[in-house]
Amino acid sequence: MSEGVRVLDVRGLTIALPSGADRALAVERAGFSVNAGEIVCLVGESGSGKSVIAQATMGLLPAALRATAGQVLLDGEDVLAASEARLRELRCTRMSMIFQEPMTALNPVMTCGDQIDEVLATHTELSAALRRSRILEIVGDVQLPEPERMIASYPHQLSGGQRQRIMIAMALVLNPRLLIADEPTTALDVTTQAQILELIRELQRKHGTGVLFITHDFGVVAEIADRVAVLRQGEVLEFAPARELLSHPRHDYTRMLIAAVPSLKPRQRGIAAGAPIVLRTEKLTKSYTRSGWLRRGADVAAAASVSLEIRRGETLGIVGESGSGKSTVARCIARLIEPTAGRIMLDGEDVAQLASGALRGFRRRVQIVFQDPYRSLNPRRTVGEAIVEGPMNYGIGRDAALANARRLMDLVRLDPKSLDRYPHQFSGGQRQRVCIARALAIEPELLIADEAVSALDVSVQAQVLALLDEIRTQLNLAMLFITHDLRVAAQVCDRVAVMQHGRIVEQGPVGELFANPQHEYTRALFAAAPGRNWAFASDGRASTD
Amino acid sequence: MSVVDDPTATDLPAPPALQTDVGRRLLRNPGVVAGATILAIMLSIALAAPWLGTVDPAAINPSVRNKLPGYEETIRGADGRESTLVHHMGTDTLGRDIYSRVAYGARASLLVGASVALIGVAIGLVIGLVAGYIRWLDGIVMRVMDGLMAIPAILLAIAVVSLSSTGLLAVIVAIVIPEIPRVVRLVRSVVLSVREEPYVEAAISVGTPTLPLIIRHILPNTVPPLIVQATYIAASAILIEAILSFLGVGIPPQTPTWGNIMAEGRSLFRIFPHNILYPGILLALTVLAVNMLGDGLRDTLDPRMSKRL
Repeated sequence: MSEGVRVLDVRGLTIALPSGADRALAVERAGFSVNAGEIVCLVGESGSGKSVIAQATMGLLPAALRATAGQVLLDGEDVLAASEARLRELRCTRMSMIFQEPMTALNPVMTCGDQIDEVLATHTELSAALRRSRILEIVGDVQLPEPERMIASYPHQLSGGQRQRIMIAMALVLNPRLLIADEPTTALDVTTQAQILELIRELQRKHGTGVLFITHDFGVVAEIADRVAVLRQGEVLEFAPARELLSHPRHDYTRMLIAAVPSLKPRQRGIAAGAPIVLRTEKLTKSYTRSGWLRRGADVAAAASVSLEIRRGETLGIVGESGSGKSTVARCIARLIEPTAGRIMLDGEDVAQLASGALRGFRRRVQIVFQDPYRSLNPRRTVGEAIVEGPMNYGIGRDAALANARRLMDLVRLDPKSLDRYPHQFSGGQRQRVCIARALAIEPELLIADEAVSALDVSVQAQVLALLDEIRTQLNLAMLFITHDLRVAAQVCDRVAVMQHGRIVEQGPVGELFANPQHEYTRALFAAAPGRNWAFASDGRASTD
Repeated sequence: MSVVDDPTATDLPAPPALQTDVGRRLLRNPGVVAGATILAIMLSIALAAPWLGTVDPAAINPSVRNKLPGYEETIRGADGRESTLVHHMGTDTLGRDIYSRVAYGARASLLVGASVALIGVAIGLVIGLVAGYIRWLDGIVMRVMDGLMAIPAILLAIAVVSLSSTGLLAVIVAIVIPEIPRVVRLVRSVVLSVREEPYVEAAISVGTPTLPLIIRHILPNTVPPLIVQATYIAASAILIEAILSFLGVGIPPQTPTWGNIMAEGRSLFRIFPHNILYPGILLALTVLAVNMLGDGLRDTLDPRMSKRL
């Protein structure tokens, strides 16, 4: 397959960052190629320059960035030297791009059909009738049901997966030679992701398109890549066929990235069977009422009859796709929102309907770590102030609280001297460590991690997971771990509950549930996990196949 | 070559001092520099008025009525010696020295501008925080604010002044009231967006009571837009004060204010335009300076904020 015609050839591409950035070059002498009928994955962590390469190829570099050296050859023609008019001709006809967030990449006030039609009307001389039949054909090609209805719909009327299919249809309607996909499945649920990956693979085979697929996820790489280029700080460290690279990575960095991918094989641990129950929810329900002017609207249950229990020293995972209600459950238990019905028993006391005044004592015992490390710390206050705030709320003196904060910084492996720094001076992973220290400062019995590692790069994610696990063992905490990622759940959870449409469809010990999923939705989730057939290094066995 | 997220924070760059950074950017903004300079000049005129070669701004002298700028008046002192007083900007219909009146008049304008901005922001801030944070009060408070905003500011001010005795305090109150809703809207919108931030939820979950929560985590976010808003309020307050005085419902006519001087000169504008010209220029310059300062602050502190809410 790699013997096809070279569609894209990037040679010695160097792109300068504006002065004052954290490094001089966004991309440094990057070289790789994409052949017809081949999928090349560009893998790297955030800030590695992978999107910049995509933008340079499309001629869409932001004004602040400048390509200073190298060539980007599309069918032998240097895109970097092309005029704006020539670039407009090339886009869509020879190269197209799909983006991470299909909702913002589509125009909300135009129907999907009109948006595809715009591409055709701009680049072809086809009559309206011919264009329409071509649109229906391509919408059928991307396997959207009822093409007629789809092209008459506005983007907001479609689901995320359907919108991404429309984007793909738009990108492929003129049969370009090169398709650039910039994290096209990152914003999608895992089951949808599996379908989109399948679709891209299928269309690419059918039309012989060359695909440059940008991703941070080695599971996705294992799923679809023919060849892989690994990018670090703008440098291509390694460019090799996927199988070879995944099984015998040559560069240390690649080896580390692959080793950091959590295994789908659950880690067995001693289960705290006899330990006391810290938290039990009984038929916990949160529903929202759509209020209308004249009459009450219908109730929408974000979480319905959720019953679960967590023992001391145990981690319970809640796994589910977006909208499954897993975060609603977490926020109800942390009493950031008020549950509609049901009970939340914390050490035998029902806290579900406590008034806000009575919540003070409760807050001490349950702490939560949020997903977004950039927004969970007040940018105007030092991390020291963030950590001592809780203890001082409960009457601990400033000096004692600060001494404790230094001890906690040690525990989360941050330098205690950096307590007087501001959040913007820390990286994402470091901020998440600060958030964990803040949560631990008031010595909770239950720690809730709401997608706490989802926004982090895979190498940082592995470290934060290890830290959470260590803390849980050391402090004998109960932990509620909310995640959409089965791999992460396999590594940290003792028991797992699977949620769909606000209900728990299945729960049990992680080993049993992963080995023998009972519910059909759980099985679908496993079937969709990217790279499930690939044994990553962390699986602890030689990955020869 | 640390390929992984370095777990210690020791190798971080030295903390950039945020405050000095903002200060430097402010100094580089031409609007801020020009506006602040003009305002500083106006302020020194207002403060140093008695020492700038002025005479009593209220002293009436029928013998030198309606003199053109540059008129030289011979004054005989108590000891019989003669001296010359030059009326740089001429005199008005009652023979008062316009230069002295304009210099003293800067006091009223700047005082009204500054106090209306401070009082308006302070009251609006409290109401806005309450409306934004206590949800059930929001509807009631905001409807009252909408009602206030529906009445033209000048009409409302005239109504308030006519309900009480005239004077500086009444004028300030009258101008503050219509400005409050704008501040409330601004503060409320900041509160509504900030209260959804995870760091606010994190503070709630570590047991921070409501008042410290608002003061520590929500209030600081309202400061930059409020500073900008305060300058616009000051500019409009200076104008409204002049308008009220011009219409004769503001500060009593014997007190020199730019509006009063212009009202005085209105009837003879065609023959003696200087009566209106000089206070008019100073008024325009002051308002321009405040607005330039505000625009500059807005561009420096928060480029995304709209000009007027």
